[in-house]
Amino acid sequence: MTVGGIGMRNIWRNKTRTTLTVIGGAVAVLFFIWLRTILWAWNVGVEYSAKDRLATRHKVSLIMPVPKRYVDNIRQLPGIKQTTWANWFGGKDPKRPDEFFATLAVDPESFFQVYPEMSVPAADLATWQADRRGVILGDVLARKLGLKVGDKYTLAGTIFAGDWEFNVDGIYIATQKSVDRSQLIFHWAYLNERLPERGKDLVGWVISRIDNPSRSAELTVAVDKLFDEKDVQTTTMSERSMNNSFMAAFSAILTALDFISIVILLIMMLILGNTIAMGVRERTREYGVLRALGFSPGHVATFVIGEALAIGMLAGGLGCALSYPIVQLGMGRYLEENLGSFFPYFRVSASTALVAALLSVLLGVVSAIIPARQASKLTIVDALRRVG
Amino acid sequence: MIPFNYNLRNLTVRATTTASAAFGMALVVFVVAAVLMLNNGINKTLGRTSDPRGAVVIRKGSDNELQSTIDEPNVGLVMAAPGVAHTADGAPEGVGELLVVILLDKIGTDGFSNVQVRGVPDSVLKFRSQVQVTAGRAPQPGTDEVLVGRGIRGRFKGVELGQTFELKKNRPVNVVGVFEDGGSSSESEIWADLNTVRTAFGREGLVSSVRVHLESPTKFDGFKASIESNRQLGLEAQRESEYYEKQSQGLSIFITALGFGIAFFFFVGAVIGAAITMLASVANRQREIGTLRALGFSRRSIIVSFLLESVLLALAGGGFGALASLALGFVKFSMMNFQSWAEIVIAFEPNFQSIGVAIVVACAMGVIGGLWPAIRAARMSPVEAMRA
Repeated sequence: MTVGGIGMRNIWRNKTRTTLTVIGGAVAVLFFIWLRTILWAWNVGVEYSAKDRLATRHKVSLIMPVPKRYVDNIRQLPGIKQTTWANWFGGKDPKRPDEFFATLAVDPESFFQVYPEMSVPAADLATWQADRRGVILGDVLARKLGLKVGDKYTLAGTIFAGDWEFNVDGIYIATQKSVDRSQLIFHWAYLNERLPERGKDLVGWVISRIDNPSRSAELTVAVDKLFDEKDVQTTTMSERSMNNSFMAAFSAILTALDFISIVILLIMMLILGNTIAMGVRERTREYGVLRALGFSPGHVATFVIGEALAIGMLAGGLGCALSYPIVQLGMGRYLEENLGSFFPYFRVSASTALVAALLSVLLGVVSAIIPARQASKLTIVDALRRVG
Repeated sequence: MIPFNYNLRNLTVRATTTASAAFGMALVVFVVAAVLMLNNGINKTLGRTSDPRGAVVIRKGSDNELQSTIDEPNVGLVMAAPGVAHTADGAPEGVGELLVVILLDKIGTDGFSNVQVRGVPDSVLKFRSQVQVTAGRAPQPGTDEVLVGRGIRGRFKGVELGQTFELKKNRPVNVVGVFEDGGSSSESEIWADLNTVRTAFGREGLVSSVRVHLESPTKFDGFKASIESNRQLGLEAQRESEYYEKQSQGLSIFITALGFGIAFFFFVGAVIGAAITMLASVANRQREIGTLRALGFSRRSIIVSFLLESVLLALAGGGFGALASLALGFVKFSMMNFQSWAEIVIAFEPNFQSIGVAIVVACAMGVIGGLWPAIRAARMSPVEAMRA
């Protein structure tokens, strides 16, 4: 039998304890993966935000619209490739008032050109563009509301009171992870025609695509300068910095999650360390025998560390294996469907799982250092005399 | 019965093992208590000021004040509805307020965030009698002077006594006072003159909501019926408490779900930690247990004794965790409320309930973790056990 083999065999000395420790470690790994996935999913929006899109909106308040003519003013600026606009509609399903999904009134001609990551079949897109009351919705939302192309659908307005009737003309799918697949998109003109005179011809925000992403900083300034002397001033930001500032509003929670995920690792070390220490204590006399037979202190330390290594590996492997059905299929699917605006893409990334597994092995070894030192430092006589 | 002292001594003999298991339990109790305190804080922040006589009227179909608009003439109609209390000089007890959000630079970050600005009539301090101006003075009616809530004072650029910020270009407002409102979410608001807000935001002749005090809480049904039976008004009346509860629902569910997810994982980890500790202590005490049985202690009293020991361990850790969680009472942080898009400042609010539940959770951990080892101990036959 090899030296490493003895360490491994020791694992099965106390099967209950080893099993419990492995489960405990696996739960910690699973938990760590869950937290890291939340943090990662939260960041997806920023990571995948387009570098070539700028958003322009009212300087003072997001609930204030800007005049529609601003869209043309921005389009004429050199360096701007395309512009489109949207209004936040704030509609809800009259039958399910608690369900939240984004409802946007947009320009049918340009909207999907500016957002190529939302993909609609060409024929459906053409139908929608020609249909004033047409609506396109995300695949996740369509499934949840039980809608398909050709259906009629009515929304209740929370900001713009009344019932709004639509024809479902198309369903978009996402070609990128950051896309919220639960949006409902319809014609801005349909909204505009029903508004009173003082609310007409206003848009919520203007989105522009620029030729050269590296010029985004100077273009944001140039756009705002256009309207500096007008009645309504604007704030223009790249999509990335907008997403960043949105996330900053939740920074307290994100920091807490970050902190907790580190606490988990400490707890895991505690559980592993405790088990190893108990094992060492129980086997003190055996170590004495081994030393008397001529094994070096290094050998004894190797046995202890080898045991911890094996437990760490088992826990890491089990935790990763569990994380797929629990975090990805269970929680991930639920969150993508019900909280798509926050978590459009909630999956366990390979790197998260790998890091978790490696940390589990590493912590196993670290937690065994003190017991291993104790075991190897014992003199043969002391060890043999010990009553365990 | 086996003397209680026996358990106490057992825990102190293996101090390190006991401490590390207790530490795990302490963490669980700490997390559970923190989640409950946070939830309590959110509920209090968003609903603390609710006066049982208070009612809020917003436009039918709107979810909150931000979406709602009410024409000025209808404000008078609402206040004339049956059940509304009157002051000594015969005026109805009610205010029409206009709520908007503005974008302000957040101090200490390079980002910005949304802040709610409430346009209030002159009589607001009389109406909201619990509000106290704690620094500076009350604004002169009809001027560009504003009050800021204690919660956001100094957190945003210009939002500090004696400073100014802009509601609109070239329309600076002066901060002349800081107010306190019993820890409610209005402490995260800026209060400006109703007409100043109206002109700055182009909302002449409009308010967002009407708040009234009723003669008594029982008058609410009559008041509601009279408001909602008038279909032309298109308004909806809610009790203040009910309205606030709806505003905090999303945030509260989010924090609770996240918090309990975290607490659950900690719970599982700690139960396993306790089971490992107790199993080891059973194994180590095999001979003792055999002796106890031979002395005539029944199986039941062995189970009770070991369970007691494990609960004792959990309570020691739990008590420590609960104590530590009380320190969170000093922690405050700001976060975005999904329903209002604005930042609110939330504090952890310790109460007996949260500490009580946390202690109960600790006991449950002790029982669950200790049950199996206790049964194992009781099952041993005295002869076998003593021979080991």
